[in-house]
Amino acid sequence: MEHNVTFLGYIPLLPLIGAAVLGFFHIGTCNRKPLNEKFYGLVACIGPLLAFVLALRVFLTLKGMPEEARYLSQKAFTWFQVGDLDITMGFLADPLSSLMLVFVTLIGSLIHIYSIGYMEGDKNIGKFFAYLNLFLGSMLILVLGDNPVVMFVGWEGVGLCSYLLISYYSEGTDNVLAGNKAFIVNRIGDLGFVLGMAFLFWAIGAGGFDYFSLKANAHSLTPGIALAVCLLLFVGATGKSAQIPLYVWLPDAMAGPTPVSALIHAATMVTAGVYMVARFSFLYAHVPVAGEIVAWVGIITALVAAIFGMFQDDIKKVLAYSTVSQLGYMFAGVGVAAYSAGIFHVFTHAFFKALLFLGAGAVIYAMHHEQNIWKMGGLKNKMPKTYITMVIGALALAGCPPFAGFFSKDEILYSALATGHVGIWAVGVLVAGMTAYYTFRMIFVVFHGEPRDQEAYDHCHEAPAVMTVPLIILAVGALLAGFLNLPAIFGGHQQVTHWLAPSLVEHHPHASLFVEILAIGASVAAFVIGIRIAYKRFAVGAEEPVFSGFSKFAYHKFYVDELYDGIFVQPYKKIGNAIRKTIEPSVTDAPVTLVSKLYMVIGTAFKVFQVGYVRVYAIYMIVGLSLMSLLLSQSLN
Amino acid sequence: MFEHVLSVMIFLPIVAGLILLLTPAGKGLARLTGLVISFASLILGLDIFFKFKEQAALQFVENVPWIPSFGINYHLGLDGISLFVLLAGAVLMPMVYLLFTTKEKGYYANLLIVQGAMAGALCAADMVLFYIFWEIMLLPIFFMLGMYGGEKRIKATLKITIYTIAGSLLMLASIVYVGVTYHSQFGEWNFAISQMSQLQLAGPVAVLAFFGFMIAFAIKIPLFPFHTWLPDAYTEAPTATTFVLSAIMAKIGVYAVIRFVVPVFDGEFARFALLLAYSGVIGMMYCGITAIAQKDVKRMLAFSSASHMGVIALGVFCLNVQALTGSIYQIVAHATSTGVLFLFVGILEDKMKTRKIEDLGGIAYKAPVFAFFFAIAMLASVGLPGTSGFIGEFLIILGAIKFNVLIGVLAGTTLIIGVCYMLWMFQRVFYETTNERTEGFTDLSITEGLTFLPVIVLIVIMGLYPQPFLSKIEPAAQQHIAALTKADTIQIAQSTHAQPAEGHTVEKKN
Amino acid sequence: MIQSYLTVSILLFCIGIVGVISRRNVFTVFMSIELMLNAANLAFVTFSRLHETMDGHVLALIVMAVAAAEAALALAVVILLHKHKGQLDTNVFSLLKG
Repeated sequence: MEHNVTFLGYIPLLPLIGAAVLGFFHIGTCNRKPLNEKFYGLVACIGPLLAFVLALRVFLTLKGMPEEARYLSQKAFTWFQVGDLDITMGFLADPLSSLMLVFVTLIGSLIHIYSIGYMEGDKNIGKFFAYLNLFLGSMLILVLGDNPVVMFVGWEGVGLCSYLLISYYSEGTDNVLAGNKAFIVNRIGDLGFVLGMAFLFWAIGAGGFDYFSLKANAHSLTPGIALAVCLLLFVGATGKSAQIPLYVWLPDAMAGPTPVSALIHAATMVTAGVYMVARFSFLYAHVPVAGEIVAWVGIITALVAAIFGMFQDDIKKVLAYSTVSQLGYMFAGVGVAAYSAGIFHVFTHAFFKALLFLGAGAVIYAMHHEQNIWKMGGLKNKMPKTYITMVIGALALAGCPPFAGFFSKDEILYSALATGHVGIWAVGVLVAGMTAYYTFRMIFVVFHGEPRDQEAYDHCHEAPAVMTVPLIILAVGALLAGFLNLPAIFGGHQQVTHWLAPSLVEHHPHASLFVEILAIGASVAAFVIGIRIAYKRFAVGAEEPVFSGFSKFAYHKFYVDELYDGIFVQPYKKIGNAIRKTIEPSVTDAPVTLVSKLYMVIGTAFKVFQVGYVRVYAIYMIVGLSLMSLLLSQSLN
Repeated sequence: MFEHVLSVMIFLPIVAGLILLLTPAGKGLARLTGLVISFASLILGLDIFFKFKEQAALQFVENVPWIPSFGINYHLGLDGISLFVLLAGAVLMPMVYLLFTTKEKGYYANLLIVQGAMAGALCAADMVLFYIFWEIMLLPIFFMLGMYGGEKRIKATLKITIYTIAGSLLMLASIVYVGVTYHSQFGEWNFAISQMSQLQLAGPVAVLAFFGFMIAFAIKIPLFPFHTWLPDAYTEAPTATTFVLSAIMAKIGVYAVIRFVVPVFDGEFARFALLLAYSGVIGMMYCGITAIAQKDVKRMLAFSSASHMGVIALGVFCLNVQALTGSIYQIVAHATSTGVLFLFVGILEDKMKTRKIEDLGGIAYKAPVFAFFFAIAMLASVGLPGTSGFIGEFLIILGAIKFNVLIGVLAGTTLIIGVCYMLWMFQRVFYETTNERTEGFTDLSITEGLTFLPVIVLIVIMGLYPQPFLSKIEPAAQQHIAALTKADTIQIAQSTHAQPAEGHTVEKKN
Repeated sequence: MIQSYLTVSILLFCIGIVGVISRRNVFTVFMSIELMLNAANLAFVTFSRLHETMDGHVLALIVMAVAAAEAALALAVVILLHKHKGQLDTNVFSLLKG
């Protein structure tokens, strides 16, 4: 079987070309007569769709290969090579990346199509689509890179696009600040990534820095270095995938247009951290301590974000916190070494979370950019398609069998229980209940009951087909994706797990039937309890609550933003200002000031003699001459 | 082309500049001369680049006895390290004449002289010759700053003069010391750099001479805490001068460390590398933090430039191939990105009559091309992968981790510090809403756009395909590192034998 | 005999010095300088006589010539000074004061 192919590089290249073309036209025309929106929309969709076709081709080619040698690779050119460091601009499609590839291009294409409708009438639509294409290209580089450095190119590229798109409505100071926050917080994570790569390189990089070589040499890592590398890489993952302590940027990122929230901040970019941990499973599998830390950070993030999610009143913020929470699940999964379960949750989550965001986008679009759920209500009659698809998405998110989210989440919780992480499992079940609660709180408040703002309700209408068709496709995915990895207990064969097996280093724990049933039962029970409480409280005529005590504390997100501001941002600014105002002028300038002062003092001392009268100068001359004569006569004698 | 190509690159601009100064030529003629000469230099530079072989040895050598009684020669040559600094100058200089069309005759003439002198300093392979070009290179800067600068130009000129003259004198003393030592050890006068590496330098005087050199170059780079002349000079100088100072001259400081200090004082260098590395890292963090508090775009960029120079210098002190190669690569990358940023600010200032961040805003809507180019240069400056800035910074951080973990981690924070001030500035200048002042901002003209385009493209190309550049740098870097590691082992061997005396001096100096 | 010539010369010179130092009128100062020159001339001639060579005479003649030239220049300067300030008090011209 031929493993070297030349078309892998085109997959990221196509959207990138699209971005360049769109950007060129936008910059060329934006201050003159703008081009037709349709033109931008069409050009924007070409790249992602072609990439999707190529991704399918990759997938099918891999499927036709024998299981133990399933990979395609392309070494485009030597990127940089210094001493032992040899970085190739290389791409690798193995089962793991091909799975990511397919759903990223699929959801990317759908969201591009949806955006044609959502962004209608925006005068910067060319810029929007250029950024979106650029994002998709970067994301595909991230997924396809055959070594950590190429992955880092995509990693930072998606970060940049995230910044650009969050700041898209750049007239608003808050939007730009949210963008800055996202970029800077991501950069903190990226520092971890870079340092992790550096340690990895000096430990085992001399034998080649692509994943195959690293995997082959991983056994020669000392435990200390391995732990350091794993933790540093995980710092990178917490930045990109919004985990504690770096999750703070994601809720603010909702300042961007809704399709962006769906694509970047729910379905694809934020899952890059999970992908990275799975990618490095050959390291994490040997360092259980690192896995333990990853799992606990993940599950605590899931819990905290779920608490925040229960008290939000902005429809996108609810979804944002649920994303953080679900990402926490994924990390819990990869942390307990159930990499395929984590990746499978990435996969299903992409469908239902993109669906929910796009549905929320349709609602926001219909409500003329109102995002507060307490201004909505009773929308199910006005927007039936949106309603039905969103309910499917919500059921999937809440973990209702047999929707996609149930199987993937259950797989994670089961793995946690089977590997003996009872604490993680227990918290996970609790979070599952909370997830059901806040998801349906949102659904009930938005779609059920009486309209809270009659005027907005009257103007409200169903979204156009260009927006609802992607919703329906995603709803089908959210409904059915779970069956791809049906566990044996339901008569399935776990195809996804088997598919991913060659890329990952994992051991499948074997637990008794009792444990399996316990896991499923607890999940279902949590779902039922959660949705029941939500129904009781919000199904009819709920009023905007007034928060006090703990709920107020949670509504303000435990004041973490304020805390970070106080600990990091303000001191940083203060130090900067202190240096500008005091240290620069008085301390570091001191040598120069001293030298010039010294000259001044000496000058002033000699100034006394310069009286300006000719007569006095004559006296100096005479005195001087006399002294010289005296000295001369002395020395002559 | 012909064998005296380096001499032509040096003296063509200098002679043209002097002729302009001495004749009553008009502004237009002066600019035209500058343009023609700088383009000629560019062509020569490209010719040199393509003929340059991937070896460590000096190439394009010219060696003519000059003052034979003291062994001083007119000795020129290029290696992989100086080649790129020279090229950065050759590529960037024509932009100045293309962009700034209405300046005085003296402005253009001084620029020409400084261009030639910088080429001389880069090509000199003889210490005395280097010193002479170094001084010639500084003079036009004083004149340009003092004559065409901003409001506080006199103070700024005074500062830079005191600093650089002090540094130059220390260097002169050290050169004399090295020459005399050579005479006493080998019985003949010689100032060729290649010969100096044979010197056995030891003892407190050698350490003093080492610091004499280091301080002179540290002032030029500038390394913390010798940076205080920089913000004032960069801010008050006319754009072209700031551009020359930041894009090329600061790099000659780093280059000089690699070329003069490393081979001659290999032992001292290895011994004090940690101290110097800390100076680089602290300077990077200090200037980066200070940058965020600045209210003036140009001053902010000045601190940003100083901050990045700290990282570049750090790469030199890390004593491994990756970091050194990264440093040299970053020299070029930083020259293009920061140089272009200063030019953009110059244009901004010309159009808006202000550099205050708070008076600007919304420029991205008025001038998309300008904003796009600026953003690319800015992203290169913060080291985004895919731009030239990433390769260098990545290599330096990588090398720094190998050298010392703490320094590596601290150096890594440049990734964070850089975006903080850059993004905040970008937000307030390019985003948000326009005001009456920025409402009238016009985009780059076709000429200006075409002037910037090659450099912007170069930034991206250097990020995506750096290998042709790296393969020319690496042999020279390898050679330097090989010499250093040899010296390091000798140093260790010596210190184990002569424990008391050596140990004592080390303690004292540290 | 020689001694009295020299004494006169020294006396003249001292008178000149005192004049330069103490008088404030430019002309008086100028005349005092001439006096000092003449004192020097007298000394030259005296020594020339003493050593029986012609060197001193030659020098005395040169000094006279120079003094004449200097007088021409100096008077022009004095006129300019007078035009500038309208008076000839040396204390008025103190631009070199630090």
